[in-house]
Amino acid sequence: MADAPSDAAEPSGAVRPRKPPLQLRTILIAAGLAAATVHAARQSGWEWGSFVSVWSNPLWERFWPIDWDFVLDRRNVLDPLVETFQIAIVATVIGCALALPVSFMMSQLTTPNRPTYIVVRSVMNVIRAIPDLLLAVILVAAVSIGAFGGAIALTVFSLAVLVKLFSETIDSADPRPLEAALATGGRHSAAVRAGVFPEVFPAYVAHSAYVFELNVRASVVIGLVGGGGIGRVIEAQRQFFRYDRILGILIVIFVIVAVIEQISDYIRRRVL
Amino acid sequence: MIEFDSVSVTYRGGVHALRDVSLTIDDGEFVVIVGLSGAGKSTLLRALNGLVPATSGSIRVDGTEVVGSKGAELRNVRRKIGMIFQTFNLATRTTVMNNVLMGRLASVPTWRSTLGFWPAADREIAFEALERVGIVDKAYVRASNLSGGQQQRVGIARALAQQPSVMLADEPVAALDPVTSHQVMEDLQRINRELGITTLINLHFLDLARRYGRRLIGLRDGELVFDGDIADVDDETFREIYGRAITPDDLLAMDGSDVRPGG
Repeated sequence: MADAPSDAAEPSGAVRPRKPPLQLRTILIAAGLAAATVHAARQSGWEWGSFVSVWSNPLWERFWPIDWDFVLDRRNVLDPLVETFQIAIVATVIGCALALPVSFMMSQLTTPNRPTYIVVRSVMNVIRAIPDLLLAVILVAAVSIGAFGGAIALTVFSLAVLVKLFSETIDSADPRPLEAALATGGRHSAAVRAGVFPEVFPAYVAHSAYVFELNVRASVVIGLVGGGGIGRVIEAQRQFFRYDRILGILIVIFVIVAVIEQISDYIRRRVL
Repeated sequence: MIEFDSVSVTYRGGVHALRDVSLTIDDGEFVVIVGLSGAGKSTLLRALNGLVPATSGSIRVDGTEVVGSKGAELRNVRRKIGMIFQTFNLATRTTVMNNVLMGRLASVPTWRSTLGFWPAADREIAFEALERVGIVDKAYVRASNLSGGQQQRVGIARALAQQPSVMLADEPVAALDPVTSHQVMEDLQRINRELGITTLINLHFLDLARRYGRRLIGLRDGELVFDGDIADVDDETFREIYGRAITPDDLLAMDGSDVRPGG
């Protein structure tokens, strides 16, 4: 590295090459992408004019003035919001706890054996293929309308997301401490715990903080389909076209989510 | 006693890393293995503790067959064999103590090591291992905060914590500066003398091999081409093992006093 400049200073006598022309492949890919976008826009009825005309929709007048009396009454917003948080916390803690062993089983580096890897991977792929909102609808119907159904749906969602993120982190972990732990004669699971776990644990904490962030937002949406919490309040107000109240609720949620994101960012920066 | 009986190792892809190697190493010997990179030094050590499976032949450690053994049987062989690595292979994000306790994994129930409930006796063994390499004061420091030489000492302590009868060292000083290299080699020599642990070390610096080795084994293209007393070794021997003339790059330093920075 250090001696590179001295090499360059040597008069080599070679002619400086011309900048190579744009590759045909690059042009074709760009053109293909553009054509696909235009086609998709036509098919989906995309209209730039809507961005102007939408503002004349009388719906917007219903957002203002915000009904602060409603929003600031704790029974209307704060209490359901606390419930939303409780759903998010329970789902994050249980989901992330379950994800810990499952992630180690689903990493090429740490899986105890090939069959375990294949089975766990297939099951997780199936779970992840279910849209989380659909999962919520099904579970709320199957378990019960309200917070519990929502919490179960989010637990499964947390598990799926974290296993995906964390198992990939484990895949890219340094295999050498594991080799050292296996060389001492330790069992596979003990060697993984001693040689890999300490190296990936900070990433686990960081990913879990991110999953909590996702869960706070998702728990709002899950309330819309009967999962309890603030989502249920939003859905009820929407049915009565009380957008003045919804806007107030959204502002409160925005502030809280922003604060949580800051905290989760801080945690991630500290541990990574 | 360690016995290699016509051991061959062929990697997937057809590389013959070891060809028909036979040798016997008595208890308490201090053996240095030299050869160019790719000559099979690393494979020889890793075949001995089963990290690399031998393709054919027989390897016995104190009478126990390593080739083809697995599960509890293989773990029992490994438990007696400490290993030190070129790149230390520590879990860098945890304490020195936790790294040394790794050497006790095979002797402690998994639930205990998993939860960190190490028995007092095993902690004591770990402390003694750290004392032996002179870094007990760093016991609760994060491994990544140590210098290279200190990290390698943790690696040695981890191997010692196994209370092994055999110690394997795969290029233990290749990542260290010359001064630290000598200190680590002296540590290994001292441990061999004081504890009588059979020691096998891969080295590529010939002056280190000559200074610390007692028995020298030379590998070339996976074949055993030299096995003898270090006193009988001269530059001609090294030339035959390496298949080329010796260059300054093959030496850590011209002599003990002339230490090249950065090696």
